[in-house]
Amino acid sequence: MKEQKSIPTSKMQRSARFVATGFKVGGNYIKHYSKKLFNPELNTDELNLDNASDIYQSLSELKGSALKVAQMLSMDKNILPKAYSDQFSLSQYNAPPLSGPLIVRTFSKYFGKLPEQIYDHFNIKSTNAASIGQVHEAILNGKKLAVKIQYPGVGDSISSDLKMVKPFAFRLLGMSRTELEIYMTEVEDRLLEETDYELELRRSIEFSEACKDIDNVVFPKYYPELSRKRIITMDWMDGQHLKEFMAGSPSVELRNRIGQALWDFYNFQQHELRAVHADPHPGNFLITAEGKLAVIDFGCIKEMPDDFYYPFFALTSTDLLNDKEGTIRAFKELQMILPRDNAIQTETYYKAYKEMIFLFAQPYLYDTFDFGKTEYFDQLYAYGEKIARMPEFRQARGVKHFIYVNRTNFGLYNMLHQLGATVKTDTFKPQLNQNKLA
Amino acid sequence: MTTAEELQNAYVDYVLTHGAKPKSVYIFAKENNLSEQEFYNFFGSFAGIEESIWTHLISKALTEVQAQEVWAQYTAREKTLAFFYGFIELLKSKRSFALYTLKDKTTGTPQLLREAKNVFEIFASDVIQQGIETRELADRRFFSQRYKDALWVQFGFIINFWSMDSSANFEKTDEAIEKGINVTFDLFERSALDSLIDYGKFMVNNGGFKQKMKF
Repeated sequence: MKEQKSIPTSKMQRSARFVATGFKVGGNYIKHYSKKLFNPELNTDELNLDNASDIYQSLSELKGSALKVAQMLSMDKNILPKAYSDQFSLSQYNAPPLSGPLIVRTFSKYFGKLPEQIYDHFNIKSTNAASIGQVHEAILNGKKLAVKIQYPGVGDSISSDLKMVKPFAFRLLGMSRTELEIYMTEVEDRLLEETDYELELRRSIEFSEACKDIDNVVFPKYYPELSRKRIITMDWMDGQHLKEFMAGSPSVELRNRIGQALWDFYNFQQHELRAVHADPHPGNFLITAEGKLAVIDFGCIKEMPDDFYYPFFALTSTDLLNDKEGTIRAFKELQMILPRDNAIQTETYYKAYKEMIFLFAQPYLYDTFDFGKTEYFDQLYAYGEKIARMPEFRQARGVKHFIYVNRTNFGLYNMLHQLGATVKTDTFKPQLNQNKLA
Repeated sequence: MTTAEELQNAYVDYVLTHGAKPKSVYIFAKENNLSEQEFYNFFGSFAGIEESIWTHLISKALTEVQAQEVWAQYTAREKTLAFFYGFIELLKSKRSFALYTLKDKTTGTPQLLREAKNVFEIFASDVIQQGIETRELADRRFFSQRYKDALWVQFGFIINFWSMDSSANFEKTDEAIEKGINVTFDLFERSALDSLIDYGKFMVNNGGFKQKMKF
């Protein structure tokens, strides 16, 4: 692909860049996210549907991890032009279901028993398909359970799948191989973790235990004795997904309550546990009839190492931004400014990133923050537009941790925006006591 | 009183421990406190024992999967899948023996599996018949008679794949079964192939197609 020297002009070109979301970081990252955060009205109708189909076609030939990448890219309808996201979201329904006999086989392999010998009732037809597995309904002792079963061989094929998706990603993102490599490895690591159901079960139990005191957040109970390497059994959660919930015009109080639960859930993890549920896909949450937020998937957890946590949150939550030297030092630690940058470049990146952090930190600056107001998202959008015009931001910058941390936080902001929630943002604050920058 | 199954087990044990067949029926029978004559009441030769073990595995796999509650609800495709999963699972306990008997490469179906093939084909024909009756599978003149052969080819492929599979729990074999059987049944279903054959028949039967073609 030829190097991009000019601003992408056509809608098609621009939209191709939005797809970068999952991979791009720093300034690039917020640019894409701000598009998504902003606005529903972004006109996508002119987008050439065929092109989206082509891309989808090439993706849908890949199974497992590649599908997961596709899902990551499709994380939110607003970020991608509609034609893209419609195609990409198909990926969530496209994986061929496991045959009945293979399900039986999986059970007999890991339990030495048939599903009907384990549960009082087991529905052999799955209710939901995910890219690396599917969910079945079961009943035991009168309790309704959700049984997640993984496709065989998913773990093995991840690396090879990602190799297949790489050339496609280079073309789509216009990134060089070495640049992309760091980010792809990060994605690969997370994906591999997601295929490890034993790890997921352990984490689900740990996290739901650690987060159990957060108001209005509920978790299914997990059953280790009914779970194995390819099978996880948990309580069946009844509720609505965000979209259906909003369609029912819930009251302001209710929306705020759910928003607050979301905010608390994420910030408690980030600042108390230093590890966060990094998949703020609306599909991973349900809103129960009692008006509580149910978290149903702990497959993707991003741990935040100190050398990321301190410089990053020192920027958002202290007066550091007023101190130019200190800010530049933090940017350097986060590789947003690189040693090879000259004085002019340093100045450019300093200004651009400072603005980004300033915007990102807005919710933290006040005790309460109204995510429903569009001005904030307009600002993010305007910033994104501006950055998009700067040739300096054609390349990826920032440490790899940004991928999932940004995905998490902007995913959170976006869900809160969709909820139109006003949230108390001082419930769980960044803890910077050991801050080496202070 | 010795049973055929005990004799089979004794034979498997002997072969695997010694890495070779017993020197003679006489010696083998004696070790099992039988006369040579009594041995022949059960099997005609060592090759006969080996054959019977494979046949027995297939019958056993069939009995087991057919006993599952869901069996009756299964489509032809699922029944075939279930059989293969059950069979491969059973085979796990006899893997060393299976590899030992399969190591002589022959083309076509080896003598070893002749009898097993018969049992398998009875099963395959039943399942296919059921599939055709429920219209799950396409009834094609000439071809539907050969469906069972296609499944036997899959059988050979799966066994070969499994014998070389070194993945934990033979997970790759599961994938090979799932994908292979699905492809095979996709071909059995009514598809473009039928339209093509239909079209071909039409062209042959109409308008002196053959005579007018210049080459």
